[in-house]
Amino acid sequence: MDAKPPVNGSVTRRQFLRNGARLMTMTGLGVAAGALATRSTGAAWVWQIDPAKCLRCGNCATQCVLEQSAVKCVHAYAVCGYCQLCTGFFWPEPNELTTAAENQLCPTAAIKRTYVEDPYYQYSIDEQLCIGCAKCVEGCNRFGNGSLFLQIRHDRCLNCNECAIARTCPGEAFRRVPVEHPYLLKTTSR
Amino acid sequence: MLRRLKFVGALGVMLLLALMVCAEQRFPPPDFENGYRLPSASTPAARQLWLQYADAGVLLAALGISVWLIYKKRSRRGLFWLSLFSLAYFGFYRKGCICPIGSPQNIVYGLFNPDYVVPATVLVFCFAPLVVALFAGRAFCAGVCPQGALQDLVLIKPVAVPLWLEQALSVIPYLFLGAGLIYAGTGTGFVICRYDPFVPFFRLSGGVFILTAGAAFLMAGMFVGRPYCRFLCPYGGLLRLASLVSKWRVRVTPDFCTQCRLCEQSCPFGAMREPAPSGTNPKWLWAERKRLGWLLALLPVLVAAGMWAGSKLSPAAAQLHPAVALAERYTRQQSHPVQYGLMTPESLSLQRAAEDPKAVLTAAADLRHRFDLACWLFGGWIGLVIGLKLVALSVRPGRTDFEPDRGACLACARCFAACPNERVRLGLMPAAGDPAPS
Amino acid sequence: MNTSPLYRALLRTAWIAGAFCVLVGGIMVYEHFEAATNDPWKSPQLLALREKLAADPKNEPLQKEIRQLDLKFRRNFRHRLALDNTGAWLLLGGTLALVLAAAKAAALKKTLPLPQPKPDAGEQSIKLASRARWSLAGVGLAVAGCLLIIGLGNTSVLPGSRDAWQKLLSPPSAQEAPIAEAPVLAEFQANWPRFRGWDGSGTAAWDLKTMPGVLWRSVIPAPGHSSPIVWGDRVFISGGTTNRREVFCYNASSGALLWQRAIENVPGSPLKIPETPEDTGCAAPTMAADGRRVYAIFANGDLGALNFDGSVVWTKYLGPVKNPYGYAASLAVWGDNLLIQLDQGETRPEGSKLISLQGGSGRVLWERSRPVPASWATPIIIDAAGKTQIITLADPWVIAYTLADGNELWRAQLLENEVVPSPVFAGGFVLLVSPGAKLMALRPDGTGDVTKTGVAWATEENVPDIASPVGIGELVFTVTSGGVATCFGANDGKKIWETNLDTEVQASPGILGDRLFILGEHGALVTLQAGRELHEMGRTQLPDKFDASPAFANGHVFLRGVTNLYCLGAADAKLAKQP
Repeated sequence: MDAKPPVNGSVTRRQFLRNGARLMTMTGLGVAAGALATRSTGAAWVWQIDPAKCLRCGNCATQCVLEQSAVKCVHAYAVCGYCQLCTGFFWPEPNELTTAAENQLCPTAAIKRTYVEDPYYQYSIDEQLCIGCAKCVEGCNRFGNGSLFLQIRHDRCLNCNECAIARTCPGEAFRRVPVEHPYLLKTTSR
Repeated sequence: MLRRLKFVGALGVMLLLALMVCAEQRFPPPDFENGYRLPSASTPAARQLWLQYADAGVLLAALGISVWLIYKKRSRRGLFWLSLFSLAYFGFYRKGCICPIGSPQNIVYGLFNPDYVVPATVLVFCFAPLVVALFAGRAFCAGVCPQGALQDLVLIKPVAVPLWLEQALSVIPYLFLGAGLIYAGTGTGFVICRYDPFVPFFRLSGGVFILTAGAAFLMAGMFVGRPYCRFLCPYGGLLRLASLVSKWRVRVTPDFCTQCRLCEQSCPFGAMREPAPSGTNPKWLWAERKRLGWLLALLPVLVAAGMWAGSKLSPAAAQLHPAVALAERYTRQQSHPVQYGLMTPESLSLQRAAEDPKAVLTAAADLRHRFDLACWLFGGWIGLVIGLKLVALSVRPGRTDFEPDRGACLACARCFAACPNERVRLGLMPAAGDPAPS
Repeated sequence: MNTSPLYRALLRTAWIAGAFCVLVGGIMVYEHFEAATNDPWKSPQLLALREKLAADPKNEPLQKEIRQLDLKFRRNFRHRLALDNTGAWLLLGGTLALVLAAAKAAALKKTLPLPQPKPDAGEQSIKLASRARWSLAGVGLAVAGCLLIIGLGNTSVLPGSRDAWQKLLSPPSAQEAPIAEAPVLAEFQANWPRFRGWDGSGTAAWDLKTMPGVLWRSVIPAPGHSSPIVWGDRVFISGGTTNRREVFCYNASSGALLWQRAIENVPGSPLKIPETPEDTGCAAPTMAADGRRVYAIFANGDLGALNFDGSVVWTKYLGPVKNPYGYAASLAVWGDNLLIQLDQGETRPEGSKLISLQGGSGRVLWERSRPVPASWATPIIIDAAGKTQIITLADPWVIAYTLADGNELWRAQLLENEVVPSPVFAGGFVLLVSPGAKLMALRPDGTGDVTKTGVAWATEENVPDIASPVGIGELVFTVTSGGVATCFGANDGKKIWETNLDTEVQASPGILGDRLFILGEHGALVTLQAGRELHEMGRTQLPDKFDASPAFANGHVFLRGVTNLYCLGAADAKLAKQP
């Protein structure tokens, strides 16, 4: 059953005005939508960090809306020097080149150091432990090759309309990238 | 003056620490001899594009079902289950984002910032509920909005808000909308998203402040029905405007109103209205006409006053924008230096600013000019909203039946059960004049 | 009143669920605030322990303590994450239980609507509308009030109007200071505006009749090896560490510290600067003044220009500076120009250059690349052979450039080892020291490579390795770091006299009037006659250690010790009050 009000004189005038207003609004919305459609895209955007702009401030670990940040450290193995004294792994001027807690830079021990061959060691990130604090990234970029960098991991990121980390990033390193190519990986030292 | 030094140890450490060259790799990539192969970085894919389109499809389907449930089936139970589904899908599964409430910001952001292109799905999320509202009222609010569904679910014992208070506070959503749009247009950010109290619940995490605010809203929502929807939701303001001119409207009775007044207290959201008083005293009529005339004349004055007040707001409002805040911090640092810790976001941003202060200040100048215009418009908008609402409150509604207010009705279908004619339709009661069932 | 058992049970369930939610929520909030101090990556406790370990690396119990604390923090961090996760789900469940129970209970207590007669419905609705309008007006005023308070209470330091912005973005400092304002030569000569005086010779023409005594001494708050400079009634000195580098200004008459200004936030300068050897420190280069501004450069490459009142005019980052022992060459000024000899590299040139900046703005006028590794000698500017020449020393080249555009005038390959002593112009020759090897005199009138032809004389006796030579008339004086002072003839390099002062000497000697001042490292100040006869004119012992060279100005002698800045003057002057 349709729910229509009974038709009589005064209501008709209102109804007429209402119809007119609705038509105008529809037209307006249509024009707006049309204009916007020419400037819109079928793509969707996701957030990502530009490693060239990242200042390693530590906000990525604290500002994400998630309890454990969606930002993790990623390793560009092709850029890595595999150094025995990795400035991203070791605390500055380490006591000894061992994995003891006082020598490690990573506060959650998320970097795993494995011997490859003399004098090279492989450093890999355990994403379960990484909190995205950028200490290793700072050490690696300042004194090393810069093969460690932060990236938003899209199996964790909620892709908020407004990224809470992006708005506090001092280097303005966050930008929207198409969902098909959601990573800005480092391939060179700088 | 210098001393002669011991060379080797100190030099080694010094060279290691003092190498700050840019450009090439400091440590060349090794040539592995034992056949070691470089691992590659994992790149877990983001949520695929077709799923975004599926979301838009689900939205359209849910809107359609909502309209059908309100007007065809007239079923409160159906709407309840639909709203539960929306809470689960749009709320807990999609974490409440992208949602129509925030989408006008994306539109305005896209209009004024050439480096952002609005995705098509966002257009659908923004326009579909509005178009539906033009025809069927706030069907979106009824069964599709997850924030609304959450508040609806926690409603235990509705307390009536006095109508005059309700009407006075109903302008706040427009202010929030205005603020959200100017901040989106100037590229500051999406404040409507930032201050949404329910999305952190969907995400099951958030800052202490916003979670507490959300909890407060839910607790309030147990007694004051849908507080966010009625008094804050900016998109709700748009839907209210669209519903005012909608083709179909929610009616308590399926056919005709018997003026029995049984539905008066049935709306938990304060939308039920009574018919206009009959028989107008000519004395009142003249007073009303005069008042209307004054209020119409007051309207441009209010707009102008709003524009004036808005223009004063610009420096403070602009400070929310990170680039302006940086310029402020940089300028303040020149005259009153503050010692920030090493490698803190403040010191790093100041360092970056000090590399090219002219660029920072020029960007801030440009933004301040934009904010001057935006705040001026915002002030005028506030004046316009208040002025128009005053006018609306002095126009006699031409209502003859007990029915919900077009704009305020959230189409939740709770009032249907109170109407005897509805009970007749459902077969729960014999019609007047019909013999009682034996 | 419906108080059926079901209703009571539901109400009880609702209360329990509510209390449960409050409890879980409270625990989570408490944990959140407590965790803020127990972050594994920001804990001050852990940092303090690490610092202790750095001082005492082999301390095994300390290592164990750090490891245990680190493990505890990491465990707590994991537990808190798990707790928050569980808590969230518990809250969700609790809220659901609460809502369902309470809603069901409310449904049970629902009363049927019983509309009462409303005879004055019309009047009521009109009153209602009126009240609505007034309360709306109230809301509007409240909103306007709030906005005005926010707007008018703003503390923005940025300009308000478009004109003010225009002015800010194109400041008048873009204009250059006219050269006519540059202090005249006489002013330069009357002051001690750079290392070893206005011409780098280490001499001042005026005289002290007697052996000077200490008039005042003031503590220098930061370490450094730079020498003091004096202009007018102000003494400037630089000092600092890797954390902070500052310029200090003292009143020359009273020794009061007038101001100190840190050179920080230099655009492009990294916050963490590399360590420099303690023997050089961050503030080894001596400052320079040109009457309107003072300039200071530090070992990491931070260069700053300050007004005489301490306000910063401009700063510039010239680093990173690759100098094995730490950058130590001092600044040179001539008129409106500021010259920096930035030699870098351990064994081969790595970006060494000579830079000329405009003092007023810091703008680079010209830059010349130099084919030499690091050097620690300060350039001098002389008027010779009809040109204004900049003489620079490094291993192996001594190179002369024109002041105006930095073109090379002549060069000679005469030096070896690490060149520390700065050149002087005395007796018509440029005197240069190849440390520990040769003291040479060069004619400054050549062009091109004058290695074979420019040397007037050379001597290998008592060649100093750190202190620069000083000359007056036809005599040249040197001091070795072992304390052997020697006098040579300026025309032929023949040794005239020598003496052992029994003290180690780092500071370069200076000549005031006819008195040769030699400042020993352990505080001995020896004055010898600056003449052909060896004659000790006075000796005094100061309670400090000295590496920096003396400054002579305003009738006083200024010495920078490791702890204090000393002012010496005529012995019969009253002692000024200590600040």
